[in-house]
Formats: sequence, structure tokens, C-alpha cells
Amino acid sequence: MSTVLDIRDYSLDYLVPQGAHRVLDAISLSVSKGEVVGLVGESGSGKTTLSWSIMRYLASNAREVSGSISLNGDNLLTMPQRQVEALRGGRLGMIFQDPSASLNPTLTLGEQVIEVLTRHRGLSSKEAWQLGTDLLSDVDLKDPAAMMKRYPHEVSGGEKQRVLIATAFACRPDCLIFDEPTTALDVISSAQILGLFERLRAETGVASLYISHDLALVSQVADRVCVLNQGKLVEEAPARTIFAAPTDEYTRKLVAAVPDPTRRLLAEETLSHPQPLLQINDLSVYYGRPGFLQLLRGNKTPKTVAARDLQLSVAAGEIVGVVGESGSGKSSLAKALTGLIPFSGEIDYCGQRITSANQMDKDYRRRVQIIFQHPDASLNPRQRIGEILARPLRLYGLPKGESEAQAIARLLEDVRLPAEFAKRYPHELSGGQKQRVAIARAFAARPELVICDEITAALDVSVQATVIELLLELRRRHGTAYLFITHDLNLVRQIAHRLIVMYRGDLVETTDVATLANQGAQHAYTHALIDAVPKPAQAAG
Amino acid sequence: MGAMFKRLLTTPQGAIGTFILLLAALLVCVGPMLAPYDHEALSILSRYKPPGAEHWFGTDQMGRDILSRVMVGARSTILLSLLATGLAMVIGSVIGTASAYLGGRTDEAIMRTMDALMSIPSLLFALLIVSTLGKSGINAVLAITIAFIPSMVRIARSVALAARRQDYVNAAIARGESTLYIILREMLPNIVSPIIVEATIRVAFAIMLFATLSFLGLGAQPPDPEWGLMVAEARRYFFQAPWMMLIPGLAIAAVAIGFNLLGDGLRDALNPRSH
Repeated sequence: MSTVLDIRDYSLDYLVPQGAHRVLDAISLSVSKGEVVGLVGESGSGKTTLSWSIMRYLASNAREVSGSISLNGDNLLTMPQRQVEALRGGRLGMIFQDPSASLNPTLTLGEQVIEVLTRHRGLSSKEAWQLGTDLLSDVDLKDPAAMMKRYPHEVSGGEKQRVLIATAFACRPDCLIFDEPTTALDVISSAQILGLFERLRAETGVASLYISHDLALVSQVADRVCVLNQGKLVEEAPARTIFAAPTDEYTRKLVAAVPDPTRRLLAEETLSHPQPLLQINDLSVYYGRPGFLQLLRGNKTPKTVAARDLQLSVAAGEIVGVVGESGSGKSSLAKALTGLIPFSGEIDYCGQRITSANQMDKDYRRRVQIIFQHPDASLNPRQRIGEILARPLRLYGLPKGESEAQAIARLLEDVRLPAEFAKRYPHELSGGQKQRVAIARAFAARPELVICDEITAALDVSVQATVIELLLELRRRHGTAYLFITHDLNLVRQIAHRLIVMYRGDLVETTDVATLANQGAQHAYTHALIDAVPKPAQAAG
Repeated sequence: MGAMFKRLLTTPQGAIGTFILLLAALLVCVGPMLAPYDHEALSILSRYKPPGAEHWFGTDQMGRDILSRVMVGARSTILLSLLATGLAMVIGSVIGTASAYLGGRTDEAIMRTMDALMSIPSLLFALLIVSTLGKSGINAVLAITIAFIPSMVRIARSVALAARRQDYVNAAIARGESTLYIILREMLPNIVSPIIVEATIRVAFAIMLFATLSFLGLGAQPPDPEWGLMVAEARRYFFQAPWMMLIPGLAIAAVAIGFNLLGDGLRDALNPRSH
């Protein structure tokens, strides 16, 4: 096999006020024709920087120190700008993480497809339109002719990503770079995208570099996997063996952190004496309100349903997982329970009946806490950690025999952060540390139920593992119940007692995790979800 | 804070603006002490003296030294304009943030009231207020404050709408915090930088509006050495002694430009995306 993309001893620095910061250190990597090389690393490992270096689009403070990048023998580092521009999108393509951000919202999909075709294939716009329609049908899009005339907001995320993939493959590229192409999509559409990628690759024999943070997924799509840690290539191995026998220390850590549904993290399988804590009856959440004109004309338009007639119960100390793709209504459930959005139906909390957000008193708000997905957004950037943690203490009262400073120090210690963090601002902390502060804030109220809304989705896999461990530790100590909302089925199967599956606002299945493991899923959608989760390559072959 | 000042001084606008305003601040603080003559001393013998060695900026129709009058007048002109803008900024940002936080009908009611206020030209509006309340410096300040509030409310609201969607506000609501706490402690600190930039630029308008009011005889009253009033009084002698009008006019322009440049510089320095 001939080598298409060849990176030799490539190093790159970013110039920062403190001096040069090495981002990529002596990277050597090659991709042959028809081969898929996976590049795995956590955030900050330099994987996106490397992909931009290959595309020859560098930040203004980037300095290339050594090495070469060549495509079919042509050195890209010394190539004039004009030739590089002709290359991009043509022989060298790139697919990005967020398809909504990489399509222009003011142009139709067709216009954006034929722009690439007329530029790189030299077609007239009529021919290009014809070819574009064929291409869209080739990536399994229904009714491609109509699709060409639609705007990006009129199609789903998975369909947008298909359009982008179709365009990239249309120019008969030598090499394609995929930068986390399925991260922004839900599990089922990303499984479909991966299937499509597999097929197109076999048909065209393109060389691909597949970048992702998800080791299990990469081991499935790639032939070889390279592991990147802080700018250094620490391990390169065939996809089959990377899970079974990782040689490098860092890879071992990464493999161990990948959630494995068969490895339970809970000490006990079921609660011995379940005490009911929260009972939800017929809870529905609607969005949108009728417009002024519609009110005048008196016609009732159906409101958008975010959650419909949910029934759910949580016992004291129980971990209930809520699983579903984006738009399934799982976040609406969390917001309704904390009084952030209006809802209909009834919440029964320890005998206290609540039918609207106004009825949530201070005591309920203390006992039910929420932790949000993005710690960047949920911690006020203008308040010190100490201030952030002091608020619940002031609102709900200090624990007996403790001063405020002592309580803050203890809370920080409970989430394994040093006490001097109280003087820092959130931006001085890493993502994982910030999420620990958010957890500490929730536990400052001494809650009985903590709603975790995708709290590990924004974190790296190894950080996620430590946060989960911390949550379980806190539960052992305080007996807190969790409503654990996530899209990661593997993770929730590791820690939850019971599982709730939501689909488009409906609750489709409630099951014990143990039952799910023994008997399999009852509902077709749950089946589809479980099948769509990428499994480590060793299991597959 | 220190890093912000460093960034401010590296941009040409920021550096020039800061320099002009430092001079202005010096005049405000110690101007009357530095003035070479008594700013109210009349002299029959030295009327209409053009700028020269003895009187650097010349003298007016009563023989008063214009340099001394400009130096003394800086205090009332600049301080009153700053006061008016500061008041408008504080009131406007609180109303705007509250409007964004409360949303719905309250938001609608507040914003439509502001639109109604905004539809009246600010000078006309200020004239209306001063003529109702009576002529004085403080009433002029009040008039400018009220005239400036609507635009401040709009800016604060538009920034606060973005802050409203942040999870730290949701977290505060879920915690059961009071509305006042959320507005003042959670949201306001996160929206100050665009408001400060806008306020800095607004000071320049306030100075000009204040000078205009004084020029029309509705702000400061003679014999105050207020700059706008000085221009108004000098109007009659323009062909005889043009410097009488030019010097205070240039002073107004210089300070207004200083605030404008500082505002531009601050916008760059406070924008997290520019560095």
C-alpha cells in the first residue's frame, strides 16, 4: 500500500506571553491508501491542532519547529498558499464535529454542495446540481432532489453530516480528516453515520485520519490507533490489540476509564428496604405559547411537547438513570423537578404534593439539588469558589458546630479539592475541578435527591471516571439518591439501580439494570440504543 | 485589572484617551490652584486681549483671563457630566437587568416605556425637564440622567438576556434565591463591561448636552465659568474676539474626544475575544 499522508517528526509551538508552549512534539504518523488511522486523545492533547496543521490553517501564534507533512510526496509545509487553497476541500478534505456550524445557514444545501463541485471538479452548475442530487441519494438521504432545496435548519443533524460527507467524498479526495464527526450527534444517528463512512471508504479507498476522544469508537472504525497525550504520540497499535493489550501507561489509564456496562460500580445490586422519596404522576412539560394573532382568532395550536405524562418514582438512596437522545425530554424533566420551567401534573415529595413551581418551598429546594452539564456556565465567573459555596450555606443554614469557613473547607475536602481553592475564581480551575465545585455546592445543602443533568458529558473520559467515583463515594456517606440523566448508556448501566428510557417526550421503558443485563430490553427503541453504542474492538473481532 | 490597563495602554486610542483624561482629571482636582489669575477678577484695561505672553488664551469682554476660567470651569463641566452619566448607568443597568430577568409582560411594559422615552430627542427632553423644574446645574444633571436612561436600559437588557440563559442563573433559581439577589449579585457583575464601555462614550455626549443646555441658558448660570456658558456669552463678540468662543469650545471637544477614545480602547481591552 502506498503512503498518502506522511507526517515526520513534526513539532509545533504556540507562542504565549510566558514563552513558547510545545503543543505537538515530534509527531510521526502515516496513513496509507484505503487505511483508517484513529487518533485518540483527551482535550488539550493537540489532536485538533494536528488536523489544522495538515490543513495548513494555523493560529497566528503558532510556530512550526521541525518536521514535515507531505501528501502523496508533496511537502505541504513549503507549498505556496495558492496551491494549498486548491488542495483544501478537494484532494484534502475535512469533516467537522458540529455539522450545524460548518454549513452556512443562509444558503440551501444544494448551493453549498455545488459550490464545492464547481470549484474542485470544474463542472458547470447544471451538471453539478445533477451530480449533487446523485451524491445525496448515494449517502442514503431520502428524496435528494427536495433535500437540495432545503436550508440547513430544515434538516436534522445526522442529515447535515451526511450532506457534508457526500460533498467531501465527491471531490475524490486522497485524504480525509474526520474531527469528531459524530460527537454532536445522538447515538443512533452516529451509528448510521459510521456505517455510511465504512461503506464509502470501502468504495473509494480514501486514506482517513479519524480523530476522536472516544477510544471504543475509534477502535471500531480504525485499522490502527494512535494515542496522543499532551502533544506526544505515546502509543501506536492495531485497533484490535489496543484494548486487549495496551502497552503504554497512559493508554492503560484511558482504557480502564472507558465505561464497561458489565463492570458494576455499585456495591449492592438492589436496595434492601426502599423508602419512597419522590413520586411523579402524569408530569408533562410544554413549550411555546400561542401567538397574539392566534389568541385573537381563538384557535388553539398544539403546543410543542417536551415531556408527556411521565410516571416515575425514586426511593431514598436509589440511583435512577434517565437515558435518551437529545430532544427526548430528559432535561425538561430535570428542569421541571427544580421549578425552572412550568409543568403540569403532580410531584409527590415525601407526602408533600406539588403541582406548580410556586409551591416549591425552601425545604423542597434544599432537599432536591441539581448539577448542570457545563460547569463553566453553572458557576458564576465573577464569584470566588468560596462565595459560590457559601450561598447554599447562608440560604439553608450552617451545619451545627461549624463556622462558614470551616464548612467551605470541609465541602472542598469532601470533593477532594484543596481548601485554598476557596480564594480562586472558576476560570482558574480545570473542567473536572469546576464540576467538583458544582457537586460540592449541591452537597452543601445536605440534599436527599441530586439531579445530575449530563454532568460528565463535557468531561474527558478519565476525568469522568473520577467524578463518578466521587459521586458514589458521597452517596455511600450521605445516602443521597440520584436522578442521573445521561446519553451514555454504558456509564449509566455501571452505576444505576433502575433505568428509564425516554424517546421524544415519552417514557418508553422502565427497567432494573440487573433485569436488563439478564433478559435484555423490552422496547424496540431501547434495543436500538443498546445496539448503537460502539463496543471496543476486541469484542467485535 | 492590571492586565486590562496594560492592554488599554497598548492600543493608540486607549493611550491617547487616557492621556487626555489624565490632564482633565488634573484640572478637575487642582485647576483652581494652578490658575494664573483669579477667574472672576475684572479688568477694564485688559479687555479683548488676544492670546499672548501675559494672557495665554486671551481675555474676555470684562477682562477676565480665559485660561483661568477654563481651568476653574473644568470642575463643574466634567464632574456634572460624569455624575449624570453615572446615575444613568446605575439606574439603567438595574432596570435593564431586572427587565431581562423578569421577562414576559413586565419586560414588555418596561421596554415599551423606554421606547416611548427614547422617541423624544434627548435635547428636547432635557429642555422640557429643565424648564419644568427650573434653571440650575443640578436640574440639568437630572435632565441628562433621565434622557440617558432608556439607552442604558436597552444595552443592559440585551447583554443580560444572554446572561439570563446561563446555568448559574438557573442554579440560583433552583436554590430559591431572591429576585433581588439574582439581579444584583448573579447577573449584574457579569454584564458590567459592555455597560462601562457605553457609559464612557456617553460621558462625551453628556458633556456636549450639558454645554448645550448652558449655552441655551438652562444649565449653569453666569458668572459661573462653565464651558458651555462661556461659549454662549462669547457669541456676541465672535468677530471682535474669536478666541473667547474657540478656547472653551476646544476644551469641550478635547474632553469629549478623550472620553470617546477611552471608550473605544476599553471596548477592545474588555473584549475577551480580542486577546
